[in-house]
Amino acid sequence: MRSINIALSILFCFVGLARGETSRGPDFSNDVMPVLSKAGCNLGTCHGNLNGKGGLKLSLRGQDPEFDHQSMVMAARGRRVDIAAPEKSLFLQKATGAVTHGGGARFTKDSTAHQILVDWIRCGANGPSEQAPALVKLDVTPESAIVAAPLEQLEVQVHATFSDGSRREVTQTACYELSNLNAKVDDDGVVHRTKLGETTLIVRYLQLQRPIPIAFIPSSPDFEWSSPEPNNAIDEHVFAKLKRLRTNPSELCDDGVFVRRAFLDAIGRLPTADEARSFVAEKSPDKRSNLIDQLLARPEFADFWALKWADILRTEEKVLDTEGVTVFHGWIRDSIARGYPLDQFVQDLVTGTGSTFNNPPANYYRANRNPSMRGETTARLFLGIRMECAKCHNHPFDRWTQQDYYQWSNLFSQIDYEIGENKRQDNLDKNEFVGDQKVLVAKKGEVKNPGTGDTVLPKFLGGDVLNEAQRSDRLRSTAQWLTSKDNELFAASQANFIWYQLMGLGVVDPIDDFRLTNPPSNVPLMECLSDHLRENEFDVRSLVRFIMNSRTYQLSAEPNESNRHDAVGYSHAIVRRLPAEVLLDMQSDVLDAPAEFLGYPHSIRAVQLPGATSKLMRRKGPRGGDRFLKTFGKPNRILACDCERSNETTLKQVFVLIGEGLNDRLDISDNRIARLARSTLSDEELIDELYWTALSRHPNEDELGIALRFLREPIVKRAAGLGELFQSIVANPSGNDRVEGLRDVAWALMNAKEFLFRR
Amino acid sequence: MRHSILDRRTLLRVGGAGMLGLTMPKLLRAAENASSIKPRAKSVIFLFQWGGPSQLDTFDMKPNAPDTVRSPYRPISSSADGIQVCEHLPEMAKRMHHVSLIRTMTHTMNNHASAGYYALSGHEPPTDDQRLRDSMDLYPAYGSVVDHLAPNDNDMPTFVSYPHVIRDGSVVPAQHASFLGKSHDPLLFLEDPNDPNFRLPELTLPRGLSIDRLHRRREMQQLVDQQARMLEYSESVRGFDAYYERAISMLTSDRVRKAFDLSAENEAVRDRYGRTSYGQSCLMARRLVESGVKFVTVYFSNSIGGQQIGSGGWDTHGFNDTRMYKFVDQYHLPITDQTLPTLLDDLEERGLLDETLVLWMGEFGRTPDINKNASRDHWPRCYTALMAGGGVKGGYVYGASDDHARLPAEKPVKPEDLAATLFHLLGIDPATEIYDRNNRPLIIGGDPLHDVFA
Repeated sequence: MRSINIALSILFCFVGLARGETSRGPDFSNDVMPVLSKAGCNLGTCHGNLNGKGGLKLSLRGQDPEFDHQSMVMAARGRRVDIAAPEKSLFLQKATGAVTHGGGARFTKDSTAHQILVDWIRCGANGPSEQAPALVKLDVTPESAIVAAPLEQLEVQVHATFSDGSRREVTQTACYELSNLNAKVDDDGVVHRTKLGETTLIVRYLQLQRPIPIAFIPSSPDFEWSSPEPNNAIDEHVFAKLKRLRTNPSELCDDGVFVRRAFLDAIGRLPTADEARSFVAEKSPDKRSNLIDQLLARPEFADFWALKWADILRTEEKVLDTEGVTVFHGWIRDSIARGYPLDQFVQDLVTGTGSTFNNPPANYYRANRNPSMRGETTARLFLGIRMECAKCHNHPFDRWTQQDYYQWSNLFSQIDYEIGENKRQDNLDKNEFVGDQKVLVAKKGEVKNPGTGDTVLPKFLGGDVLNEAQRSDRLRSTAQWLTSKDNELFAASQANFIWYQLMGLGVVDPIDDFRLTNPPSNVPLMECLSDHLRENEFDVRSLVRFIMNSRTYQLSAEPNESNRHDAVGYSHAIVRRLPAEVLLDMQSDVLDAPAEFLGYPHSIRAVQLPGATSKLMRRKGPRGGDRFLKTFGKPNRILACDCERSNETTLKQVFVLIGEGLNDRLDISDNRIARLARSTLSDEELIDELYWTALSRHPNEDELGIALRFLREPIVKRAAGLGELFQSIVANPSGNDRVEGLRDVAWALMNAKEFLFRR
Repeated sequence: MRHSILDRRTLLRVGGAGMLGLTMPKLLRAAENASSIKPRAKSVIFLFQWGGPSQLDTFDMKPNAPDTVRSPYRPISSSADGIQVCEHLPEMAKRMHHVSLIRTMTHTMNNHASAGYYALSGHEPPTDDQRLRDSMDLYPAYGSVVDHLAPNDNDMPTFVSYPHVIRDGSVVPAQHASFLGKSHDPLLFLEDPNDPNFRLPELTLPRGLSIDRLHRRREMQQLVDQQARMLEYSESVRGFDAYYERAISMLTSDRVRKAFDLSAENEAVRDRYGRTSYGQSCLMARRLVESGVKFVTVYFSNSIGGQQIGSGGWDTHGFNDTRMYKFVDQYHLPITDQTLPTLLDDLEERGLLDETLVLWMGEFGRTPDINKNASRDHWPRCYTALMAGGGVKGGYVYGASDDHARLPAEKPVKPEDLAATLFHLLGIDPATEIYDRNNRPLIIGGDPLHDVFA
């Protein structure tokens, strides 16, 4: 068999490949490159690494065939390829493991891959040919799939269409990757389920990629769609998908859960005991939507949502100074409070120049201090695109080239700063800026592409090169292009950001990673949310109201039999740990005792803190409240990314909750616990009050029982004798075990998972 | 031909998929990296010499260099053939047969913050910045990488660091888990192990809270948790509850508390290490690896030093009449000669040296040319790192510096290569990818120094 292959291959050089377009043997770009990719040679862990590996560097994932040909054939004085004896070629010996190879054996000597490479070398190891047809289209069948048990695997077929009109099956040579571990894929494009749920298969061949969404679902022959009544368009899209996947959404959450969820999500604080009780008691059928309207009108709505934008806009003291942080945060909060449309908000940021103390949006550029960072931040925050990969090489999973990166950066190249006295707290810290500074539009400054060494023309990301008129005011032009209603990604990224805040999972996830290979989990839903934002003049409250009124938002977090495996379809509410600031404020509210933050008055709530690390804290280290916030993941705001905030859970957080962090606050002598214990309320009444305050519900019988035991049974064993009794009376003249007992109850409630987690 | 065997390449490709946006369960990611590398060390003790010790006055003496370069101290021979060390390290000289010296460490970061970050992470910083900002896009500490890829399964923390957070004007990055997530941060304590009242806050019940009371609080918490049923359906809720179990067992049970209890050591042993923060920290390091901690980082000092004798790190420029050669022979060298040999002996006596890698190094070395203050300034181009024990050769020198210890004469070693060596010794493939907050795959190390492996 092998000898026939070799004989055939010699013929190739003269009569051409099966496709018959070339007499040069296998074509480098179309035949050799897929072999290198398929064998994984050009991955980032191997020779695709920026520094190559073991002396051989290939372009990352085969982006640059010309370069790869140079590396393989010309570099290292041509020692990698032996045309006289192709099979003795060093790179083939390494790839087959005949010679020691850090990456092990990639294919065998009797594989097709080996044969193609041998043929290619035998025919002269030619480089990319201008005549070779280019790949123009990649078709994968099926384009999406639902695989119901007992089926556990899916085979795809891949066809490539070339510029000469030829079409061939490339299933064996295409590369396959999956977006998660719900399945595995083998070399032949067969996807095997590892668990129920959704995954995306990325099919890559030469320079093209296609995402194939796949859902693995249980067989459920008895499945019956529960036909939940949609509240609005969101539900129609969510339910349409769930129905296709034979997944019933969970029940509506009950009123007690809803009132808590709505308060925490909309305004970042707990309902008071009275607020929760009266909502639950209320009989009106519109009470949920009325509550949503009331919450959106409250000042805390602006406090809480300002926190989210202040995070990603890098509102922190070292670069902006305390005054800059104050005015910038103030402007963000005020914009939300007065319903300033999001498109105008973003225009103000992108065109923000002048004094950073007098014109708050100018702090956007004070924080982002060079063209690359401005470009990356603007793309990430307002288009949902992560450009970082394209800084050093073409984006491996998206369409952005290195040239795109620098052309986009060049929109932001003509910005300069007039820095005043700048009396730094730390003279040696060039990251620190003190005092006002002016953001200026300079007349010159162009960006070069370090890959080519050439100055690039400013160009909108995925759009046109700026014309003469647009170039006269790059920032204004950028702002207009960015926020134009035709700019799908602007509306989608902003809608996705808001959806994520309420639902805990973006329709595109991560929220700032819109990309060909990372499609929305529900395309019509994404469009519906974007359209809503656009049609309502980019009004944040309008979209929040739309989402919170949906049945989808109001579903219980408790899964049912059919949706247990669903993680991305919104069939039940997502449980997540509450943000640092919200948790700390909840503790303060339950205890009715404020937390302490260095450099701020006692009355401030954690969600209202304008910055990240006050100057005083920088000098003295964090205080109680500050330390809690760091431990629970408040971001330092050095990155323009929501991902800098951590909602993880850690052992250290538990130590804070068990130990002195919370214990000291429980022990304050005039907090709510102490006052309740001293009040004339009966034991049952005060336990009930504490439950409504902390958990927005009554205690049940068991809970009441144990709480009463805490209040009535002393912790210390009964006095052994008169002396001990006397001692305990001196120590606690009122005989008040109530306060100690109540502290233990309060601790348990504030450490309950339903307190710490949003459900 | 169809086959679905999960070969290495499939694993690699699944690894690559992490970039595609969804976060994979960490353990599975870690499993994907379970390579065939045989661990040669169970634990690492990283003694980080903040401030930058001079190569020319410790382990790379150049007695034949002109007096503008050579150390005023004389070299002495050691227990290892052909290896000389400084005369102020006589005890260390007797243990050089345990040691591999890497005399060609090299990089270009001149500032403590950037060089320190490089030394602690094995990744070149984006800029040479005196106040490099600690941010989530910088790499994690070695110990956090180990905790991420090969965590302990013995109930002991994987990564412990103490007794300082090192700073030079601002906190030096790479002392925590950064983008790997807070759950991989070290168990960090700043209490002084040399303090007679030394105790870990994490292992101490809060004031006025008895164990009984803690248990009764937990009892009610568990009852309340039953009502909401969240433990039944939420993995993150279950995960958080497991931390309560763990925390309470640390507060109430013996194992971890014992490891941190220096008072269990007899006085003679404590004296041998020296009654200093650093000395007792080294003793603590031995206790920790003995009880199963995988990665211990001891910071020599919290500041770069050079201001007064008896405190601070190795940064001896000689400013303001603080002459280097009045400092190092009275403080840095004696404390080194007391602790490091004691630690090696103690590990050896307990049969732990073969499985414990001791790494001693700073963020850079010091200038070959003695400056106008009769001292030395920063020098990252060529300096020495010392390794001993767990899987490395004894009495071995890797690479050689030039006549003035100014540049590597052969076989230069970048911090990423040293990092790779460390990971390799622990059985972790240095080509393993970790994922930053952009889900970019990043390789943890450079090329391991195979020649130093025993």
